[in-house]
Amino acid sequence: MTRIRRGYIARRRRTKIRLFTSSFRGAHSRLTRTITQQKIRALVSAHRDRGRQKRNFRRLWIARINGVIRERGVSNSYNRLIHDLYKRQVFLNRKILAQIAILNKNCLYMISNEIIK
Amino acid sequence: MAVPSKYASNVKKALGSLRRSNNEGLRWRMLDDAKGQVLGRLASQIATVVQGKDKPTYTPNREEGDMCIVVNAKDICVTGRKLTDKTYYWHTGYVGHLKERSLKDQMEKDPTEVIRKAVLRMLPRNKLRNDRDRKLRIYAGSDHPFGDLPLEPCGMPPILEPYEMPPRQVRELRPRARRAMIRAEKKLELQSQGNTDNRKSKKKEEEAEISG
Repeated sequence: MTRIRRGYIARRRRTKIRLFTSSFRGAHSRLTRTITQQKIRALVSAHRDRGRQKRNFRRLWIARINGVIRERGVSNSYNRLIHDLYKRQVFLNRKILAQIAILNKNCLYMISNEIIK
Repeated sequence: MAVPSKYASNVKKALGSLRRSNNEGLRWRMLDDAKGQVLGRLASQIATVVQGKDKPTYTPNREEGDMCIVVNAKDICVTGRKLTDKTYYWHTGYVGHLKERSLKDQMEKDPTEVIRKAVLRMLPRNKLRNDRDRKLRIYAGSDHPFGDLPLEPCGMPPILEPYEMPPRQVRELRPRARRAMIRAEKKLELQSQGNTDNRKSKKKEEEAEISG
């Protein structure tokens, strides 16, 4: 058999991966083997964290709503607010409630007063 | 962190560490009655404020709590027999050197440490804990070097009345809209008039035709 060199096949494959990893820090953007590993890890993290992102944001919104509601009195709290919202069938979700809390706190207080009645 | 041994050195150190921590736009909160307040309950309130958890812009990775000044730390209360029985333990690192000190002795030595320990142990153990520590200013007596700053009193919020909606500001109509409204009103008037007129006139016409 004659000797066959592989040529540029591997290099072409690896440049694509290198482009993806081009902004990583240190050896993670320079060394070939590390680059392939880091690309895989990055994509795995992204996939996993897309699910987590939803969880994280919901936690953030809940914390913010809680903080604002508790300023309004000793026995006011996030859980009571949500319970009252469900009882009155108001379908505002936590994202919107958190935005209302940031932009227009008094509106949130009005909502909570209406609901308590 | 100011070492509260003497007041004069306190001032310098207090103002010095002010510059290091970034506190623009933060409120200065004054909790001035540590007098008569229960240790743990006060500490838990302070911890919430220092973390910034009562703000709608709370972000867990940024440090945006308000500065807290606690005054009259030596008059803090504890229930039960904690004054004699509560002990603070710490280990120096050497074998067998577990040291302890009771609350009473600690209060004699340094009353601000009591509150500081209580609050610090209630904060989450993360990288922001040190910054939060710097936001806490505790003073044993009732003097504090921040008299000139705008301090806000902080405490248990009173049960506020339900927020009343401010009276609705009705914007006056723009010229075109107003003209349209006038036209509509006139039309209504004409219609109501015209209905009666039409009926009468129709009847008259019919009679006229019949007679004429």
